[in-house]
Amino acid sequence: MKIERTGMAGSLESSDVLVTIDPNVGRGVEVVLKSIAESRFGKQIRLLIEETLSELEVVEARVQVEDRSALDCTIKARLVTAIHRAAKMSHPDWEHLS
Amino acid sequence: MEFRTVVLSYPPDRESLERFLGERGLSLDPDIDYAVACYDGAEIVGAGALSGYVLKDIAVAVEAEGAGVASAIVSHLLAEEGRRGLSHLFVFTRPAAEATFVSLGFTVVARVPQRVVLLENREEGIEQYIAALGSERTTVPGISGSIVVNCNPFTLGHRYLIETAARECEVVHVFVVDEERSLFPADVRFRLVQEGVAGLGNVEVHHGDKYIISAATFPSYFLKEPSEVVATHALLDLTIFGGRIAPALGITRRFVGEEPYCEVTGTYNQIMQQLLPDFGIEVTVIPRLERENAAISASTVRNAIRDDNLDLVRSLVPPSTYEFLISEEAMPIVRRIKTVNSRH
Repeated sequence: MKIERTGMAGSLESSDVLVTIDPNVGRGVEVVLKSIAESRFGKQIRLLIEETLSELEVVEARVQVEDRSALDCTIKARLVTAIHRAAKMSHPDWEHLS
Repeated sequence: MEFRTVVLSYPPDRESLERFLGERGLSLDPDIDYAVACYDGAEIVGAGALSGYVLKDIAVAVEAEGAGVASAIVSHLLAEEGRRGLSHLFVFTRPAAEATFVSLGFTVVARVPQRVVLLENREEGIEQYIAALGSERTTVPGISGSIVVNCNPFTLGHRYLIETAARECEVVHVFVVDEERSLFPADVRFRLVQEGVAGLGNVEVHHGDKYIISAATFPSYFLKEPSEVVATHALLDLTIFGGRIAPALGITRRFVGEEPYCEVTGTYNQIMQQLLPDFGIEVTVIPRLERENAAISASTVRNAIRDDNLDLVRSLVPPSTYEFLISEEAMPIVRRIKTVNSRH
């Protein structure tokens, strides 16, 4: 999926996560993670972000994730929404999501 | 508790927000274009506002603290920025609120003690800007000078200021204000500066980005009326310049044109002379270049455009600017200059 503009989803409220996707032309995928649970779950969250990006075939994007101790399913849902907004797609690409 | 967008054009909404902020020592800035409030019944218990890509005027009532109101307000503001397609965002706030915003993921850009803190939502934000300047840099042993210009548009006065600095320095870094609040678009202003300094081998032209005289560092620069906050904004802008940008390029001098007309710029220049020496930067004020007993300024040029006095325009700007002004591309800008009466 091609990132065409800024896409945002989520919030900074407790148990949620704010995801911001930006175009990153010529610089591949760049993930900036800030999490209050970084030391315990940072690795797992990064893995989840990478998996979701590759499922949706995102190869170029700046992904900023500000995690307020969200569950994995929340993080994934916010990511998928932000990516779709950034790719100007109104309907989720269900086939590529596991 | 319920969150609602404040309808700024609806007096009762606006007044209740102004009252809430006023009780907390804040005032609704004139450049606000969006505001959200948290209501407990009819009463506001928290609020926040946007001016372009800057979050400001954020406050929470003492009785509502700890209930996640602050993070909810910031989330609302961020969501609105997301809808606008803006992702590189700033927070302009009081020093006491710094920790709250850091815990929400923001990074400090600069502080003015007892007055204001500026934060941004990218850890690498200003560092990346500075790094990019460094890569454009020609390393020189002598004096590195600097000038910050808006050039709305580039005149012979700007050329004279830059030439004067270029004679006294090994290299002169010229920063062009990037904010889109002037009659000439930022890309045009930048291009006319580049063309206007052609032939001066030791001048480098840079973008000011969001870090030099921008809506984040110096919002009152773009408002029509001078106000009490100008000094605070000037301190913030110059702290960023002196503390972060200048060291990266080894800048030890700043040149500025004398300001006979504009009060806001006058205050800025005055604070510059007080503050920058603390950062090891010598400030030199250059008298304006005069033509027929009047200082050349961009506003004189705009007035001449407004009066259709092309001969006068031609005598005030270099050929590169004049060529642009009579080109097809400049037509919409010239039309706008004739219809609005703006300081910028």
